[in-house]
Amino acid sequence: MLSIKNLQVAVEDKPILKGLNLEVKAGEIHAIMGPNGSGKSTLAHILAGRDGYEVTGGEVLYDGKDLFELETEERAHAGIFLAMQYPVELAGVNNTYFLKASLNAIRVARGEKELTSVEFMKLIKEKVKFVGMDEKFLKRNVNAGFSGGEKKRNEILQMALLEPKLALLDETDSGLDIDALRIVADGVNKLRSPDRAMVIVTHYQRLLDYIEPDFVHVLSDGKIIKSGDKSLALELEEKGYGWLTEESAA
Amino acid sequence: MTVLSDQNKWFDRILAQAVTDLPGADLTWLQEKREQAKAEMLRLGKPTRKQEVWRYTSVDNLLKQEFESPTPDFSALQAGDIRDQIFFADDDCYRLVFANGRIVTDLSRTNGLEKEVSLGSLRASLGIESETIRSQILASSPSTHVFSELNAAAINDGLYLHVSANTKVSKPIEVIYLTLSLENQLVVQPRNLIVLDEGAEATLVEQYISTGDSVYFNNGVTDIKLAKDSKLTHAWFQDESHAAYHISNINLVQDSNSVYRNTSIALGGVWSRTDINASMKGEGAHCDINGLYTIGEKQLIDFHLNIEHLVPNTTSEEHFKGILYGKGRAVFDGRILVEKDAQLTNANLSNANLLLTRDAEVDTKPQLEIYADDVKCSHGTTIGQLDPDHIFYLRSRGISEVEARKMLSLGFANEVLMSCPTESMRTRIEAKIRAQLLSANTKP
Ligand SMILES: Nc1ncnc2c1ncn2[C@@H]1O[C@H](COP(=O)(O)OP(=O)(O)OP(=O)(O)O)[C@@H](O)[C@H]1O
Ligand SMILES: [Mg+2]
Repeated sequence: MLSIKNLQVAVEDKPILKGLNLEVKAGEIHAIMGPNGSGKSTLAHILAGRDGYEVTGGEVLYDGKDLFELETEERAHAGIFLAMQYPVELAGVNNTYFLKASLNAIRVARGEKELTSVEFMKLIKEKVKFVGMDEKFLKRNVNAGFSGGEKKRNEILQMALLEPKLALLDETDSGLDIDALRIVADGVNKLRSPDRAMVIVTHYQRLLDYIEPDFVHVLSDGKIIKSGDKSLALELEEKGYGWLTEESAA
Repeated sequence: MTVLSDQNKWFDRILAQAVTDLPGADLTWLQEKREQAKAEMLRLGKPTRKQEVWRYTSVDNLLKQEFESPTPDFSALQAGDIRDQIFFADDDCYRLVFANGRIVTDLSRTNGLEKEVSLGSLRASLGIESETIRSQILASSPSTHVFSELNAAAINDGLYLHVSANTKVSKPIEVIYLTLSLENQLVVQPRNLIVLDEGAEATLVEQYISTGDSVYFNNGVTDIKLAKDSKLTHAWFQDESHAAYHISNINLVQDSNSVYRNTSIALGGVWSRTDINASMKGEGAHCDINGLYTIGEKQLIDFHLNIEHLVPNTTSEEHFKGILYGKGRAVFDGRILVEKDAQLTNANLSNANLLLTRDAEVDTKPQLEIYADDVKCSHGTTIGQLDPDHIFYLRSRGISEVEARKMLSLGFANEVLMSCPTESMRTRIEAKIRAQLLSANTKP
């Protein structure tokens, strides 16, 4: 589904990703761990289509096609979703209005019929319940004044609503209480299916107790320096990253 | 005999056009008022950019145009011409429609109006409420604004609303001023008078509109007098033709404990200037003005607020937002004056501007002039662009860039839109702004 080969990305002439390789097949869940500043969010952003990055080498294929040929919104239409590490607050933009605009934009791009307000309200209320949010968050402006955890829940709500084919979760578990963590995990597990895939960036093995990843990768200094199964996450929890970075430097 | 300069000749020509068919030939006070205004107009002459209040706004293009007064029998207006503009269902409001400066009775509806309320055209009311009209027009604050003198020199017709003491007008009053030049470029000079007696309450929704993109000049003056404990909710919507020139001078006088809530939204005109002058003369008066201007290509919009706190314990909030695109230009000049005696004044003024394109431009000048020592006053202005991270967030959810920019711009305007007195007005104006932003060059 997603094939990243020798990807090199720079920000303002500063190399951030330095030859990254990653293969994600349909049905798989990949966890990416790694020290602060190693390039995890950069990877997530470049996949979702955020401006300001320069691809200096390598390629990314999504469903066999060059991902960089697609505009940001076209990637969403094609089923890519990024739950952001720092969701922005949109003053004056009503959450329900935004959620409906998003779902309908994607539906229209796929040649499906727009949902009417009534159909949408029915659907969104189910989803809100599923992610354990209060309906009052629908009436508020997008993320405006939401607590850190509430913002993350709103991201999961969007994921549950849009049902992406490839979900990228950038530290969605950071700042969540135990209940919310479970909800995120439930959301992910419910979405789990043979034709979907997920890449989960996290600092904590805890989330992986609930979501069992097929692969765990360590990203350090712009490269994946080690891959393994879920036991790697346990090992990292115990030993930190030092032994790996030394190993890779050697 | 006075020798007129070329520029003064322009005012004199406009006036000569306008003085035919004036009402009240038998009212000496009105004749005198017109004469005085004419003299004052000629004395003031053409505004120059050396004058502080005209510093950022040139009138040169306006004075290059020639205008004629409309013939009084303009009746080409059909109900269909205004249907898309009205904010209220027929049963939910009283309505007056003015077309090219004159009331269109067929399209107006005042049946069921409380008998304590006078609502109609100034022309028709002159004979009936001569005394109220006289005292209010004579009290109209002498201005340094040559265009309001031009209006006063030919006082003719406009809205007249008088609500008697302790009466609450049961439905909103919708007033539509439609101007449309057919063969010749027209000038219309509405003279509006709104008087709320002690404890009276009303909601007034005014709209300045056109049905095409013709060139005309609206030069209006609105005097509002709020007696003790009265309450006026006033929505003012300027959606003129994009080739039109528009001037509105709104003069507000507030007695004690009166409340004035204004939502001013301006989208139209090639060149427009709106002055809101508020005089808070009674203790406990409160004035609240929320404004929004959304303009683009070749448009200039100029808002001047002059809020005077003259006695103790008055409060005011003035919050204006601007969305500019294309080569749009805006001027915002907001002044709050707190007189020496006006202790415990609480006044806050803000102006935030969103520039969607590099070529858009705004001059914003908030001023506090405070002579009392125990007051709470603030002012602030911002000029900014859309945040690329906000656009990215929306696009990453499948929303196109154009739509994302529109959503964020409307989000920026949201606070002002929410202050519209009715939902139907808000949704209609929102739709208009969306259409305007969609068709316009809003790309940086
Ligand atoms: N716009 C930018 N300008 C300059 N440096 C940047 C920019 N964006 C990212 N970087 C740098 O790129 C590096 C990688 O950042 P990134 O956010 O991808 O790290 P991360 O692995 O997600 O870290 P964390 O675990 O703290 O979230 C950091 O050193 C960061 O400072
Ligand atoms: Mg990060």
